[in-house]
Amino acid sequence: MTTDLHSYGAPYALDALDADERTRFEAHLEHCADCRAELPGFLATANRLGEAAGLAPPAELKARLMASISQTAQERPVVTSLASRSRLRQLLPRMALAAAAVLTALSIGGYITEHNQSADLEAERAAVMTVMASNDAAFTKAALRDGGTVKMVTSKSSDKAVVVTADLPELDDARVYQLWTIIGDSPTSAGIVKAGSAMALMAGVKAVDAVALTIEPEGGSKLPTSKPIATMTSA
Amino acid sequence: MNESQRHLASHLTSVTTMQTTADLSELLTRVARGDEGAFGSVYDEMATSVFGLAKRVIRDPARAEEVSQEVFMQVWQTAVRFEPARGSAKSWILTLAHRRAVDAVRHDQAATNRERKYDWSGGPDYDHVEEEVTVSLEHEQVRKCMDGLTDLQREALQLAYYQGYTYAEVATALDANPATVKTRMRDGIVRLRDCMEVLA
Repeated sequence: MTTDLHSYGAPYALDALDADERTRFEAHLEHCADCRAELPGFLATANRLGEAAGLAPPAELKARLMASISQTAQERPVVTSLASRSRLRQLLPRMALAAAAVLTALSIGGYITEHNQSADLEAERAAVMTVMASNDAAFTKAALRDGGTVKMVTSKSSDKAVVVTADLPELDDARVYQLWTIIGDSPTSAGIVKAGSAMALMAGVKAVDAVALTIEPEGGSKLPTSKPIATMTSA
Repeated sequence: MNESQRHLASHLTSVTTMQTTADLSELLTRVARGDEGAFGSVYDEMATSVFGLAKRVIRDPARAEEVSQEVFMQVWQTAVRFEPARGSAKSWILTLAHRRAVDAVRHDQAATNRERKYDWSGGPDYDHVEEEVTVSLEHEQVRKCMDGLTDLQREALQLAYYQGYTYAEVATALDANPATVKTRMRDGIVRLRDCMEVLA
């Protein structure tokens, strides 16, 4: 990506970025001291716009909330950000290890899937961690008949899913694996996946009913030309 | 009021403000430990701002109430994530509230678009931005400072903040270049910040 992430500071404070840009800017923040320095002032300014809109809510709202909170568990303190990674391991042990392996491969080897090639790897990495650590992360897995597995973690709250494939058998040169998101009866390509182990991050998955993997002619297809070798639903 | 009285008055005001800020931050810390009474106080302090903001962005009062409820549930569940060193408690809650309101509007919009296909032909309705105004001190100051912006800066900020447009959507609505819109947002927010003498 060649976009100057720096220029996202003001739109970010105004919540005027789409979900992907938001994630990328948040990852960028970690490395950008200037952005971190000016952001609180931008946010505080935006908040003044918010306060200017003040309007008293209906009285029942408080009663409803007070009744709900006494039934609702709270997040426990997390001491360091490293702790959230170990928590993640407890929650999703195999998935986390698989992803950790792939993430390592990402940082060393460069690309995994076609669509990762051009992406901002740091942002992707941060987004993957966000998905895996989210409270509503849901885990599904499918084993393929000819070997290999596909695992998926979906987080509705962050509207993203991470798909990790492991040990997909090598195909001849004329064929590739292709990943699809399916809404109702309509599949949309989510990219080509290499044989072996790979990872894909997918955004905008809230409305997605299922994710499927097919084998397609080299270069991929616009629509699947074969039956899925794996299908996962995120519910 | 003479000069020294004015000075004293402004000093007192800032002391009071700091007092409230410290209290809210302290209250949130207690909320993080499961103190329901403290949660009630946080609600009392913030409900008008949160609901007003949600209502401004979402328009529909019932949906705004629903989103306000989600915001306060999030405050209850994630109070432990609030870090006083990174900003005020008020800012933390308002930022949560705005994010949720914007996400709700975009989600509802996307659902409507899926049903009815995409139609922007009507364009944004600016009229709503200036109507339904709650007159308050904050509002007066914001209005005064907003008046000091260029039209493009003001429209860009209002469409984004009060209507949940992304900068790319703002660009489409105003028939401007997205890069220009980003720049105008930045210029606008810097000018507002300085005009309102915001301390982060």
